[in-house]
Amino acid sequence: MADLQVENLHFNRGDFSLHIESLWVKSGEKIAVMGENGCGKSTLLQLLCGLLTPDAGTISYSGTDLTMVPMPKRAELFSLLPQVAEVIFPFSVYEVVLFGRFPHCTANCFSAEDEEQSLYLLERLDLLELKDRHFNQLSGGEQRRTMLARVLNQQTQIIYMDEPNASLDIRHTMDIFRLLTLRSETLISSVHDINLAHRFFDRFLFLKQGVLLADVIRNDVTPELLAETYNVQVTIGTAAFEFQR
Amino acid sequence: MKHWLWVLFIVVLCVSCLVGATAINPLQMSPVERNILLDLRVPRVLFSAVIGAMLGLSGSVYQLTLKNPLADSFTTGAASSAALGAILAIALGAPSALVPVFALATGIAGLTLVYRLSITAGFINPVTMILAGIVMNIVASAVISFSKYYFEESISSIVFWLMGGFFIVGWGRLTVCSVVFLLIYLFFRQRALQLNLLALDEYSAQTMGVDVHRLRSLAFVAATLLVGIAVSYTGIIGFVGLIVPHIARSLFGSDMRRNLLYSSLLGALLLVSADTVARVIIPGGAELPVGIITALLGGIFFLYLLQTRRERFWHG
Repeated sequence: MADLQVENLHFNRGDFSLHIESLWVKSGEKIAVMGENGCGKSTLLQLLCGLLTPDAGTISYSGTDLTMVPMPKRAELFSLLPQVAEVIFPFSVYEVVLFGRFPHCTANCFSAEDEEQSLYLLERLDLLELKDRHFNQLSGGEQRRTMLARVLNQQTQIIYMDEPNASLDIRHTMDIFRLLTLRSETLISSVHDINLAHRFFDRFLFLKQGVLLADVIRNDVTPELLAETYNVQVTIGTAAFEFQR
Repeated sequence: MKHWLWVLFIVVLCVSCLVGATAINPLQMSPVERNILLDLRVPRVLFSAVIGAMLGLSGSVYQLTLKNPLADSFTTGAASSAALGAILAIALGAPSALVPVFALATGIAGLTLVYRLSITAGFINPVTMILAGIVMNIVASAVISFSKYYFEESISSIVFWLMGGFFIVGWGRLTVCSVVFLLIYLFFRQRALQLNLLALDEYSAQTMGVDVHRLRSLAFVAATLLVGIAVSYTGIIGFVGLIVPHIARSLFGSDMRRNLLYSSLLGALLLVSADTVARVIIPGGAELPVGIITALLGGIFFLYLLQTRRERFWHG
């Protein structure tokens, strides 16, 4: 399994800059990346995936620098659910999910095992009835779940997700967070719903204006920390709906 | 369905060989008619088939790599900038074997310019791309027309370059085109699965192990090579590459493993048919440039695509 190590990471784009002094993620951890809009959550995920090039600092997986890992190897190491995922032309839901097997396929075609695995994930994500529909005809939440299935189908050691529950209803959100957090892979995901994140994740990275404000485990998430991260007043109470599934 | 398409293609090939300024009855041929059939008709029909396949294949690849349903060699400006290079090469007195090389170079330069103009932060704006392609076409057509007036002697008619046609056909050119088409078809066929992933957004494709920039650049060069050679031999024949990938997609799905083949086949079918019409439509044996027919079909199809995809076009 792969550990992730980040040292002295710097990235600048226009007025925005991101700086992570040090970050060490052990294999199997479930980490939520939290913070305001524009605080650098997506940028951090893109840097960790090698989609952006840092201005300084190192990102390494199990001791190997990311720049030394060739593209096909990266696809076996980590997968990413981007914030906006699109598909041009009428591809079916099944085809899109099957694409996730690309890093594992040889000789330009998918194996029977790839197809089996794809069908299993379609069922697991409640998409089996939609499998022959065109991706672009689905609702936003259904498209999101298709993309999730595509990412899980890649079967990587680390999964990055940028707001996986965006446009998902509460039932599917809870199903998917349970599914994700019970799996053995490392999960690093940006989440906006604080209560939900608090319930499912073990470790929290709070970003503010491109700086890592805090890196804490669940018990150390305090109203004061949230207040500072989001510039809002926070109280603990039960004046809210509780959901069980 | 697949078999019927091949049967239709063979039938159209045969019919196309027999009709024209003089209709030929294969059962009762005079020696003159036999010569017309074997030395003129057959190479010409095969040539139009190969050029059609080249344009269809390039259109299929352009639409996917540029993520634009309206892309083809004509709307991206690749064809007109390739024609510009071919004309410059002829005007400067370059040997005829080098003409396609010039066409490839300027074709890639034109396409790259259009691509650069339409991409911002990894997202290709489809509307900007079409606008840039149109501007490219206007500029290239202007320079082509200028060259025609300036180098009166050496350049064949403007109609040839801007409308396209199969006026000079020979077994040599046919062989060159067939070999290039086959090699590039195999090149894409081998990468069909990777090409499929380009239908997804750049971040998804990249994290699935596809080197998006490298694959896109390779695809641009290979597709523009098809266009560069086609244009140097037949002028600009627009819209074949726009129409056929859509038909192939609606008949056989979007998977590039099938789309590459059927875009080529339908491109060949379309251009052979269009060329046959171009040969017989004017009474008295005169020939219409085939580009007029494909432009007419393509223009109507373009409007249809704009109408059906308008929503998605403006809202990404």
